[in-house]
Amino acid sequence: MPPLELLLQQALNGLMLGVMYALIAVGFTLFFGVLDVIHFSHGDIYMLGAFAGLTALAAAAAGGVGGGALALVLAFAAAIVVTGLIGVAAERLCVKPLARASPLMTLLATLSLGLVIRESVLIFYPRGADPKPFPRLLPQGGFEIGGVSVRYENLVILAIGLAAMIAVDLVITRTRMGAAIRAVAQDAEAAQMMGVDLDRTVDATFFIGSALAAVAGILSGLYYSEIHFIMGITGGVIGFSAAAIGGLGNVYGAIVGGLVFGLLQTMAAALIPRGSEFRDVVAFAVVMLFLIVRPRGILGARTVERV
Amino acid sequence: MSLLQTRGLTVRFEGLVALADVDVAVGEGETVGVIGPNGSGKTTLFNALTGLYPPATGDIVFRGRSVAGLPPHRIARLGVARTFQSSRLCLQLSVFDNVLAGMVAARRTGLLEAVAWRRRARADMQAALARARHLLGLFNPDLPARGWERVGQLPQIDRRRVEICRALAAGPTLLLLDEPSAGMSPAETRALMKDLQIVRDERRGLSVIVIEHDMFVIEGVSERVIALNYGRKIAEGSFAAVVAHPEVREAYLGQEHARA
Amino acid sequence: MILVWLTEALVFVLVVAGILAERPRALMLTAAAGAAAVAVPATVPRVRTALTRAFEAHRAAAVAGGAVAALALPFALRSSPYWTFVATLALLYVTIGQGLNLQIGTAGLINLAGAAFAGIGGYTVGLLTVSTGWPPWLAVMVAPLVAVAVGTVLFVPILKTRGHYLALVTIAFVFIFNVLMNNFEFTGGPQGIKNIPTLTLFGHRFTTAPRLFGVTLPAHANFYFACLVVTVLTTVIIRRLHDSWLGLALNTLRDDEIAARCCGISITRGKITAFCVGNFFIGLGGALYAVMVGFVSPPDFDFGYSLVMLSVIIIGGVDSIPGVVLGACLLVPLPERFRFLHEYRLLLYGVVIVLMLLYRPAGLWPAAVRRYR
Repeated sequence: MPPLELLLQQALNGLMLGVMYALIAVGFTLFFGVLDVIHFSHGDIYMLGAFAGLTALAAAAAGGVGGGALALVLAFAAAIVVTGLIGVAAERLCVKPLARASPLMTLLATLSLGLVIRESVLIFYPRGADPKPFPRLLPQGGFEIGGVSVRYENLVILAIGLAAMIAVDLVITRTRMGAAIRAVAQDAEAAQMMGVDLDRTVDATFFIGSALAAVAGILSGLYYSEIHFIMGITGGVIGFSAAAIGGLGNVYGAIVGGLVFGLLQTMAAALIPRGSEFRDVVAFAVVMLFLIVRPRGILGARTVERV
Repeated sequence: MSLLQTRGLTVRFEGLVALADVDVAVGEGETVGVIGPNGSGKTTLFNALTGLYPPATGDIVFRGRSVAGLPPHRIARLGVARTFQSSRLCLQLSVFDNVLAGMVAARRTGLLEAVAWRRRARADMQAALARARHLLGLFNPDLPARGWERVGQLPQIDRRRVEICRALAAGPTLLLLDEPSAGMSPAETRALMKDLQIVRDERRGLSVIVIEHDMFVIEGVSERVIALNYGRKIAEGSFAAVVAHPEVREAYLGQEHARA
Repeated sequence: MILVWLTEALVFVLVVAGILAERPRALMLTAAAGAAAVAVPATVPRVRTALTRAFEAHRAAAVAGGAVAALALPFALRSSPYWTFVATLALLYVTIGQGLNLQIGTAGLINLAGAAFAGIGGYTVGLLTVSTGWPPWLAVMVAPLVAVAVGTVLFVPILKTRGHYLALVTIAFVFIFNVLMNNFEFTGGPQGIKNIPTLTLFGHRFTTAPRLFGVTLPAHANFYFACLVVTVLTTVIIRRLHDSWLGLALNTLRDDEIAARCCGISITRGKITAFCVGNFFIGLGGALYAVMVGFVSPPDFDFGYSLVMLSVIIIGGVDSIPGVVLGACLLVPLPERFRFLHEYRLLLYGVVIVLMLLYRPAGLWPAAVRRYR
């Protein structure tokens, strides 16, 4: 059994990862709630968010705003807008036209769109095949508490992640658009009869979900100090897993699911011999078992299929 | 001895009681009509009988054995076939395939025969096709000739007929028809009533439960009528008696008032 | 009948010319002829109906002609071992594609772990022959069963849950498979397994160039003929299954689970059957690949290959057996022919799939109505 400090340290790391996963998972769960679709290119949208952030940072540096908080704010703003719009475009291209086809068609179309996004970054981003170093913009250093080293950087990442989640929660629970999103998730037809503009609501949902993925992408760049075009596949699978363990369609479930997945990974790394290599294996195995035992997820409601 | 008997049948969704303590009995060869306003639990009753919604409490006895809690395909194999309110055909598949789907469960030809024992598999399939032609022809003499077309190309009434053929193809002892006249013109409904007569003539001893909104259809085909409201059975008896029943009148008139 | 054979001969000549033409002028000429050959029946209805009618009327002749063409291909390609290899690869993709199409197309089970199941087949052959010294042909026969067994143990419980979970879990499985193969010592880690012994038939080693009818063919022609037999068998078996009660049951449960259950069809049993039969042929494809190239390593079976297999099905035609053949015969050689496209291969597949799903979801060769002939 590893020492307690190591476990606490890994729990903290798991929390960090979990926040990022949760941000991706919220997108999956929102899309599923509103349109009953799995947006399989969402992982690659997350990767795009990271690249949009990196590009914005490079542009900011070229424009003389190198380093510091201002550049970071600019990067977040640019990535959120660009990625959000791309998310909406993805929905218009691959989800809406297939609304009447079988859900499997949407799954295949978004899966292929993800492939297109991934390959486009690989081919068209300068030297896209290599991992890209991501600038360290957050305050370095840290402190130690009870044998656990806490880095300022990590605290900022946690804070940004939590702020993004709270912001989304506020949007969904307190605004008119949020009410529309919830109404469509409940019953799209009824919502339309009550005067909800379905297209706009769906657009808004995809914008919000993709923007969150962009935040996750930049956070992941800041955390790992590098980004890679391939990160979208694992990011997507993990985000979807997190949403599924949380219960598809439930935003809080997605957040819980993200944290659970992050903790699973880091605990596997700590507790299992050669765990750092096999951490994904362990995490996915647990997810599989969980979905078999409880396919509705932690917070998912039992759905009754209408006949 | 009735073919089907439910005792205290109750179905709940998340605390909402969709069907409360319903006792229904259907005798051999009998046709029973089920009426009731929207949301009164008629389709839920069918879903419970076919195993799609396992009952919370109560029992369903079919041919002397309890089938409550059995999965739908097991109940279907015991001889319960049904149609759906909004028809559930596979529109991409041919008319024949849709009818043959009703016979899949009864076939014993396995994978090996399909791959290796070609002659037998083919003969079996040809016999099934002949039966599908026969069934389709009962309803509409033009249908067998359109057997290789995709069902999506047929008009609404023919689709409904195909769905009934699919149910009959299984050789059921109990047939559940969920609002066969839904979405049809009066003329089509009349044609359908004739079809229902054919169904009963074709298979003597076949018991039928039919859900209908159209009172003329109910009056025309059913020997006994059951009325549901809010998931409870409120009346049972001859058509005239049930329609005259005060609770039934209130259920329908109340709705009329609410609408106005 | 003459028309059928003439058409087939024309296609054969065009394919061979398309593969072998080197000089720009020859290539241009072939491309123009090919475009004309596609455009004429596509735009002139009378030609199209005449051709369809001829092929309908002389099915046996068409099959015989196709067989002759398939057998003759290595002779036409004898100058190029590389293209013989590519043609064999296309055959393997047909085998894998038929298995996967039974799952995805016929039963609606989105299995995105095609690469992993092929990998299980390939690695099993590698391990059995190199580490335990089994004869290669026995290993090739056992490997698909291992793929089926692994698939059954890991995925049967998931098959009972909602459709998109299977997609999720199978993607995850491809990654798990890669991580494991990269990190296990007994699978050789990132280097994989080398020196897998080749097949032998009546003392004839598949690495020696065969001499047939006085013509020496490249060594890969051995595998071409072997894979041709396997592919044809696979296609026939899948076709018979598809045109049986099983195929009908799978189609029904794919289109409407509730209706299928009320028809007495056991969803779980149908899905398990489709999943196992499909994985058998996917694993078989992987096993043959391993003996053909002589080594296996993790990158040979990564997620990209799952997507290539998926492209074969969607572009060829979902649930369409001839569609899979067409899809594999287009998708495997084309990027090899146009090397400059190689880098853009996956990008193009992705774009083409999205366009197909939007504008031609039934594929290039849509599934026909089952006629039970």
